[in-house]
Amino acid sequence: MPSIYRYRSIGVDFLLLLMILAIRPAFGATAAPLGDPVNAVEAKAGTLLVRAQDDRVLRPVPMLGTEVDIQVTGVVARTVVTQYFHNPTDLWLEGVYVFPLPENAAVDTLEVRIGDRIIVGEIKERAEAKKIYEKAKAQGKKAALLEQERPNIFTTSVAGIPPEGMIGVRIEYQRELLFRDGVFSLRFPMVVAPRYVPGDKAIGISGHGFSPDTNQVPDGSRITPVVAPSHQKPINPVKLTATINAGMAISVQSPSHVIGINESQAGIVEIAFADGAVPADRDFVLNWRPVMQKAPQIALFTEHFEGEDYRLLMVMPPQADVVAESRLDREVIFVLDRSGSMAGTSFEQARAALTMALKRLSPRDSFNLIAFSSVSRQLFVRPMPATSANIEKAIEGVSALTAEGGTEMLAALKLALDDQARGEKVRQVVFITDGSVGNEDALFEFIKQHIGASRLFTIGIGSAPNGHFMKRAAILGKGTFTHIGKHYQVNQEMAELFKRLESPVLTDIRFDWTGESPESYPAPIPDLYAGEPLVVLFKAKDLDKEIVINASVGSKKWNQRVSLKDSLTQAGIARLYARRKIDAIELSFNELVPTLHWQGARRKIKEEVTKTGLQYQLVTKHTSLVAVEKESSVPFEEKLKTWSVPINLPEGWQHGSAWEQPAQELIVEDATVMMAPLAKVKYERVSAFAELYDLRYDLRKEAKVVRGEREVQLIAENQAIHKRKAEKARPYAKKNPLPQTDSPTPSAMQIAMAQILPRTATPAQLFMIIGALLLLTALLLRRRLFSRW
Amino acid sequence: MVARRSLIAGGLALAGVLSVAHGAWIPAKAALAQVLLDRAWRETQRTRAPTKPWPWADVWPVTKLTAPVQKKSMVVLAGANGEALAFGPGHLRTSAPAGVSDNSVLAGHRDTHFEFLKNLKLGDSLTLEAIDGGVHEYKVTDLRVVHETDTRALLPTETATLTLITCYPFDAIVPGGPLRYVVRAQGITGHNPFLDKKT
Repeated sequence: MPSIYRYRSIGVDFLLLLMILAIRPAFGATAAPLGDPVNAVEAKAGTLLVRAQDDRVLRPVPMLGTEVDIQVTGVVARTVVTQYFHNPTDLWLEGVYVFPLPENAAVDTLEVRIGDRIIVGEIKERAEAKKIYEKAKAQGKKAALLEQERPNIFTTSVAGIPPEGMIGVRIEYQRELLFRDGVFSLRFPMVVAPRYVPGDKAIGISGHGFSPDTNQVPDGSRITPVVAPSHQKPINPVKLTATINAGMAISVQSPSHVIGINESQAGIVEIAFADGAVPADRDFVLNWRPVMQKAPQIALFTEHFEGEDYRLLMVMPPQADVVAESRLDREVIFVLDRSGSMAGTSFEQARAALTMALKRLSPRDSFNLIAFSSVSRQLFVRPMPATSANIEKAIEGVSALTAEGGTEMLAALKLALDDQARGEKVRQVVFITDGSVGNEDALFEFIKQHIGASRLFTIGIGSAPNGHFMKRAAILGKGTFTHIGKHYQVNQEMAELFKRLESPVLTDIRFDWTGESPESYPAPIPDLYAGEPLVVLFKAKDLDKEIVINASVGSKKWNQRVSLKDSLTQAGIARLYARRKIDAIELSFNELVPTLHWQGARRKIKEEVTKTGLQYQLVTKHTSLVAVEKESSVPFEEKLKTWSVPINLPEGWQHGSAWEQPAQELIVEDATVMMAPLAKVKYERVSAFAELYDLRYDLRKEAKVVRGEREVQLIAENQAIHKRKAEKARPYAKKNPLPQTDSPTPSAMQIAMAQILPRTATPAQLFMIIGALLLLTALLLRRRLFSRW
Repeated sequence: MVARRSLIAGGLALAGVLSVAHGAWIPAKAALAQVLLDRAWRETQRTRAPTKPWPWADVWPVTKLTAPVQKKSMVVLAGANGEALAFGPGHLRTSAPAGVSDNSVLAGHRDTHFEFLKNLKLGDSLTLEAIDGGVHEYKVTDLRVVHETDTRALLPTETATLTLITCYPFDAIVPGGPLRYVVRAQGITGHNPFLDKKT
């Protein structure tokens, strides 16, 4: 039985591998003044990583401190963040700086102070900016490059950091403030909630056996934060000042920090930390509300930018009368995709989401449940009141469902949308699917025609749902799209969605302009839910009259006249407008594909985003900020010594290989972004602030990440062993050049994508072996039986 | 005593047979499905509309992958979910369609459809059949092993690129490991095997 022997030897190998994986080798020697090599998958705000000569890993340099200044006027917050680092080595270094920002932030300024020089960034097309930076670096000039990797992740590369020198990186961005339930809220991230979470393990058999260990909190030595100089008391002390010019008397408070408040004149409030500098161990949150009970209902801000007037209009629907009337009963139709493509983890998540949603219904609501695969079935003939008995019945029904068959989505949509409610009920269709459909166009058309008074909320399940389809379907259905990638996100995401769905206020919002309608965002205007203001950004030159806002409140009409004359001047409106415009451009991909085809649509979007980025001087996916000093200041021989370009390729990268071309960029990314991540989560601290803020959810997220981090580390450290084994054990490896092994540390970009490559193996062999072993045992038993006779 | 023992032995034998049968069914299903899929693919090319290979299927063919050197040819399905992968390699929905100047990404099981990936060598040819009947040729330019979180293989490209992904190592017994084998092939521009075949 040669095959069995082979299996056994593999089995032994496998066990050995498990044992090896369980023992973690220590890190190599550390360059004295720098921190441990960073090999984690999680980004902490503003860690500067450097790569010294011949060093294959990136190491964090000590951060000396952070200064934050926030200027709030009206609804716009402009934030200036300056972080100081010290190069403790006697080498010239290149550093990379990763920082996360809120998703709607518009970054427009970069200044880097290296030694006594200040270099200021300029907006350029992304590839061009990169070229300028690389060239400056090669010429021994000090240079900096700020790029957007994902909507909320930015990286800055800094070349030419002198030995024993100081570096200051200053970034400016602005964003709209969150205003909900009469309270303005501002959050400055100081600890980054990691976004990267490894994929769920396949149900049943888990990977190479280390996941049970990695569920645990790693030991203390691994989670020590970035090494700081010993004379430095708090790690990364943050000094923060904020000025709020609200134009009215306000009361301010911070739930996160002890703050000092100084009201220099009516309506202008200055804030600073009471203790001076604080350690960067939790996000800073600032809330304020108008002192008078009644907030102004309408606020209009204008900015004159390059010959155009940009305006931001904020309208607060009159809560008292509107809300009372809008407490309309809802009719919620849940649609669950139970087709074959949902089988496995996806369906578990979908069921959990649905069960959670059912439990949130109030007895005044009515509901129905449609489950579809090749055929659609509904639970009740018509929507039923959400009594506990009915909900119980639905939950029971859901738990009995399995996933198999085709995805006949059109039939399900027909069932959900055709049976429109006649009464005064608000009708919400909650559609849970992975969007695995082939007839997108037909579905879009149907939704457009039949949405009527219903609202379609799509919930994407699984690690890679058809997001394009679901986002677009939600826009056409005047609802929202929610992505639930991981099981632990179900409760949080569903709770957030349902909190909104429970109290719709204004629907069918329309602006009637005198004269030509200007370009405005968001378009179309989504429904408004309780406590939310209506915020619209538009560009208009000679708009001096008034606009009428028309909307429905339940079955009644509501309208509001707004005069455009009384407006306040506010810097930053144009860029907020641009930010919204870029979002809209990126969402138009699906509409462009039928006419321009795939690559035409991609090119078009790239062009439009680049144009907008350059016009409004914003960092976007396709435009970057680049700063270069005029004359070279790095000594020539030093330059040669430290920057033998290209920077060391990670082990396994092959010069001149196929990936080189697109990879030219990627390699740089490797050197820079890839190992970017950063100080590890200080676990005890996280739990302390979880208690304070009841961030149990975040804590779970952290735990997951720590696990992911450790998993990746384990693999990194054992890959060499793995590779050697692969070489020995596999006959085809001799026929074929040995596959190249990449450094397993993912880039910040991949972290942001929170995605993994598809899983592609069947348990066929495993079943065969188990079967063979069982048969063998049976045979042995029989033989002993025979011998006894 | 003896009776109980033989009962245990019989039970074990039965479980063994079932397990082996289940193990054998997976590759058999993978092979059988391809026959039906091939028919559906021809129908798809004729009607230019998604066609299901069997009435209750949740999958439909989107392209056909051929490896001339390895003498392998298989119909590729839309999406890389578990169900699709049981019947054929899956085309990642977020990636480009066949033949476009962008990255087309296919994933397949390492022990069934994409087993041949281990025999691919640099320079080997691969072709994709588009829905319009066009045949696009690619040459293998890179082979590597990556961690599952290294998603650079999924990023868009400026030129026609074919990326094949499967699990690694090929002969691991337990599925679900964190490594992936990634094959990169570059499109040969303007090349149409029907027009400029070497004579």
